[in-house]
Amino acid sequence: MTAFLINLATLAAISGILASTLNFIVGYAGIFSVAHAVFFGLGAYGGAQVALLLVPNPFLACLVAAVIAGGLSLCLALPALRVRGEYFVAASLGLQMVAATLFAELKPLTGGIGGLVGIPRPELFGMVVPVLPLALVALALILWATARLQRGAFGRTLQSIRDADTAAEALGKNVNAAKTLAVAFACAGAGIAGALYALHLSFINVESFTLDQSIQIMAMVIIGGAGTLWGPLVGAVMLLSLPAVISFIPFIPPTEVGAVQQIIYGSAMTLLMIFRPAGLLGDMSKGKSTS
Amino acid sequence: MTEVSLRCADLARAFGGLQAVAGVSLALYAGQVTALVGPNGAGKTTTFNLITGNLRADSGTAEIRGKPIMGLKPWQVARLGVARSYQDLRLFTHMTVRENVLAATEVSAWFWQPGGRRAQQEREHRAEAALDATGLTSLADARAVDLAYAERKFLSMARILAAEAHIWLLDEPASGLDLASRIRFGSLLKEAQTRGVAICLIEHNLDVVVELSNRIAFLDQGRVLAEGDPDTILKDPALAAIYFGDRPQEAA
Amino acid sequence: MLFLQLLLNGLQTGAIYALTAAGFALIFGATKIFHVAHGIAFTIAGYVFLFAWRADWPSWLGVLASIAAAMLFGIVMERLVYRPIQRHEGSFFTVFVAAFGVSIVVQNIIGMIAGRGFATVDTPLSFSAEILPEIFVAPMLWIALATAAVLFVALTLFLTRHPAGVALRALAQNPDLIRTYGLSSNGLSVLAFAIGSALAAPAAIVTAMTTGLNEAIGHHVMLISIAATIVGGIGSLRGAALAGMMLGIAESLALTVVDTQWAEAVSFLVLFGFIIFRPAGIFGVTQTR
Repeated sequence: MTAFLINLATLAAISGILASTLNFIVGYAGIFSVAHAVFFGLGAYGGAQVALLLVPNPFLACLVAAVIAGGLSLCLALPALRVRGEYFVAASLGLQMVAATLFAELKPLTGGIGGLVGIPRPELFGMVVPVLPLALVALALILWATARLQRGAFGRTLQSIRDADTAAEALGKNVNAAKTLAVAFACAGAGIAGALYALHLSFINVESFTLDQSIQIMAMVIIGGAGTLWGPLVGAVMLLSLPAVISFIPFIPPTEVGAVQQIIYGSAMTLLMIFRPAGLLGDMSKGKSTS
Repeated sequence: MTEVSLRCADLARAFGGLQAVAGVSLALYAGQVTALVGPNGAGKTTTFNLITGNLRADSGTAEIRGKPIMGLKPWQVARLGVARSYQDLRLFTHMTVRENVLAATEVSAWFWQPGGRRAQQEREHRAEAALDATGLTSLADARAVDLAYAERKFLSMARILAAEAHIWLLDEPASGLDLASRIRFGSLLKEAQTRGVAICLIEHNLDVVVELSNRIAFLDQGRVLAEGDPDTILKDPALAAIYFGDRPQEAA
Repeated sequence: MLFLQLLLNGLQTGAIYALTAAGFALIFGATKIFHVAHGIAFTIAGYVFLFAWRADWPSWLGVLASIAAAMLFGIVMERLVYRPIQRHEGSFFTVFVAAFGVSIVVQNIIGMIAGRGFATVDTPLSFSAEILPEIFVAPMLWIALATAAVLFVALTLFLTRHPAGVALRALAQNPDLIRTYGLSSNGLSVLAFAIGSALAAPAAIVTAMTTGLNEAIGHHVMLISIAATIVGGIGSLRGAALAGMMLGIAESLALTVVDTQWAEAVSFLVLFGFIIFRPAGIFGVTQTR
């Protein structure tokens, strides 16, 4: 039971990082990416390779993961600078599909469909350390950083671009630079989550980095409340505990737990959008038309 | 005359077959209000867009205090001291009034602004002063989207005030304002003039033009037809005919 | 010869893509709703046909039931999901998330009812015959192409001749105009959803009888429809259909160079390239900023 809870807590912390960083670009910059799992994956493969080939140092793994994911975030920033709204969602969908194929096919880097196995446990000063405290520290740091950025000048810059990009630019703001920076920050955070994920499970494959995962992260943000600090975290914990809760319901056969879970969060997404578009923790008056 | 803040020469821009701006030459002087007057489609807003870099000119030059600005991005032009307002305002609708104005003082796109704590206090002061001057202090925590029409117009002015620009390009800033608001708006302009701000405004209401401006540039079909002090321009019967729609035949 | 074979396969896939993409484009053009649940209309139509066939219904009845189911789904989405959201001025993203939620739900329900994995309607129409040396073609190819062609002619006639069709096109170009003329944009919006969703049904039936269906197929169809609509140029039905055909052929021809698992990625590389270099698409007018 403890092992089960520790596992759940670790995954919740990792999902919390994913949801908070996605919330940063969705809720503040209005960049609706459905490709967040791509950068989660990049970080996971990068971190796993560091542990497999070099040393299982979690800090190094996270650093490399953040650099890779942050660097390749240009793939997402580029369409974000060119187009908006539906076009950008379509571009990020495209990126997600292409990346999933790459993850499955680039065997030397990702192990192909089979994935990377036997990723060593993280070690610090010659001692094996559990991932949970690392993940909690990372989550706390990222929450702190996003909170500071959101409330400060950078958050205002992003929101002003979201609401009226031409006016923001006419006030001297380099819109392209700000968007690129926001995307890089969010994707680097997703990369760190990926490295922690790889070290925690010691096995990863493409299944965790597909469109379904991106949509689930998006659902965490939306259900919790985009543009709020704690909403995404609440959403992450809720969606993660869902399978556990469902498995306690006796009349659902174990093979259908996944499907039932998806049906629940799918209908939650739809119903919230109809009746409470700002999400559970969102300010209702703020939930309207943020495009 | 006084110092030239912005000078553009022979600006031209065509959209497809339509020559929206066909060689506009214009100078804005420090401490002076220049009104751009002309019938709809004369190319007034397009001229603004060419100056601010939102549209690329097919030909022509523009310079701010002698520094050429053609080919610069809008944000680069803004940093040379140009602030503008829009006919449709383009407020940051989901931010509060105070945030709207603060955002106008924060230019850097980096994670934090340069200058540390002291610069931040200075920016906050500037924002409060701009709110005060536009009478928005009591509404500072309301969201822009919830403001009344006149308040929105003043918020757009407050952003410009806080931006500390020395050239203002205002697109119909007084349209739809009642008399009291117009007086308040006029005093904003007067105060800016004393600080040496060069102001250019697009305005349809000729009473407002007379009230506020020192000079008029009359635009028609993408050209400056006449330039001069308000009395001379507005008394010219040929210009009045164009302005009020009795366009003389091509032969005339 | 492999090239010709792949080209013919591509034509069949392309006809399917063209039909669904045209439906998506029609809905998006007339209502400005980015109907990401469009793929689900396809899935529902396919499975209704499959169940009808399993229940030994005559095939014409199966086809009718399938079309009716797709239309019904489109109308229900418009009435129960999109309209309430638009009433409180929801942003495009609110609409997107709501529609995606519906997709997830329906896809999983179908998976639970029909079982997961591929299911096919066996018919002699999809038995291939060698028409040229080493070139195998099933009658289904001609049926698919003919259906697509007939439906496009019918759709074009409807949009240019019939008053409702003309109104739909006008709605796509200028929604305010419709309101000033006192036409009901609500009614037209339902009509757009009904017709657009119905177009997915023949494509789904052809798919059921050839490559087969699975519960997640709607995803793929939706993605292709979006890609084709953007590549073709938003607002252009002809563009969407043409781009759908192109993507189908491109996916198939790409097999001369890469393995099957890359087929989908090819479509998205094309889409990605268009969004970055020519966001207006082939026939569209730039309206990005």
